[in-house]
Amino acid sequence: MGGVRLLVRTFSELCLTVGTLIVLFVVYVLYWTGVQAQSAGAGQIDALQREWASTPVAAPAPTPAPAEGSTAGSRAPATAPEARQPYTPGKGIAVMYVPRLGKDWKWPVLEGTGPGVLKKGLGHYAATARLGATGNFAVAGHRRTYGDPFKDFPRLRPGDAVVLTDGTTWFTYRVDRSPYRTLPTDVGVVAPVPKPLRKNAAGYDGPGRYLTLTTCEPEWGSSHRLIVWAHLDTTQPVADGRPQALGS
Amino acid sequence: MYGWIWRHLPGNAWVRALISIVLVLAVVYALFQYVFPWAEPLLPFNDVTVDGQ
Repeated sequence: MGGVRLLVRTFSELCLTVGTLIVLFVVYVLYWTGVQAQSAGAGQIDALQREWASTPVAAPAPTPAPAEGSTAGSRAPATAPEARQPYTPGKGIAVMYVPRLGKDWKWPVLEGTGPGVLKKGLGHYAATARLGATGNFAVAGHRRTYGDPFKDFPRLRPGDAVVLTDGTTWFTYRVDRSPYRTLPTDVGVVAPVPKPLRKNAAGYDGPGRYLTLTTCEPEWGSSHRLIVWAHLDTTQPVADGRPQALGS
Repeated sequence: MYGWIWRHLPGNAWVRALISIVLVLAVVYALFQYVFPWAEPLLPFNDVTVDGQ
C-alpha cells in the first residue's frame, strides 16, 4: 500500500515539475527573449551613436539621390560605400526605422545572420551589398520572439518608407511590392537584382540600389519566408536633419 | 521526491523554507541562463533567412 502511494505521489510530482518547466519555458520564449533583445538592441544603437559621435564627421558620400523607379541605381555608382572597409561580423552597421511598423520602431542592423546576431537586432546578409550601394542590401529579422521586430511585417505596403542611417547619411528606401511569400530555398530573393522563384514577383529588370527584408512565415513557424523589396529613393547627409519619411 | 528533499534539509521549518526558496531560485536562474538558451534554437522561430537550409 505504501509503495503504491509513493509511486503515485512521485508521479504527480514529476507531472507538476514538467508542467512548471513548460510554463517557465513559454515565459522565457515569449517574454524574456524580448526583454533581452530590447535591451541588447538599445545597447547596440547606443554604441553605434557613441561611435558616430566620436568619429570626425566624414563628408558623406557624394551620392546623388537616385530617381524614382526600379532601375534607379543603374547610373554612375557611388564611390564611397564600395571603397570603405568591409563590415565586421557581429558589429552594428546601421539603425533602421520603419514608420509603418510603429512610430518608435527602430532596430540596429548588425553584420551577419547567425542566431547570436539576431538576438540583438536585425542581421545583414554578409554576402550582399553595403548600405546604399548598388546591389541588394538584404536584412533578416525575427517575426516572433527576441523583441518581435518584424511582427507586423505583413502590413508593409508599396510606398512605405524603410529608413536607415549609417551615421553620415540617411537612406530612404521605398517598398515596391506587398510581402511575397516564398520557400526558405528561394535564395534568389537576396540576389543583387532580386530573382525570386516566382518570376516577376520582384519586378526588377536591371541593376539598382535595392533593399530586401526577410522574416519567417507563418508567424510562429518556419515552413516559408516572407519577403519585402524596396529601392533606394532618396539620400541626405545626417547634417541636414532627419528625412521627411520619419515625420520630423 | 520533494518530501524527500524537505526531510533532508537541515534546520527547523523556517530555515528549510528559506533554503527551499533559494534552491528554487537557483534552479530557475540556471534554466533561464543555460538550459532555455540552449533549447530555444531547437524551435522554428530562428529560421528567418533564405539560405536553402
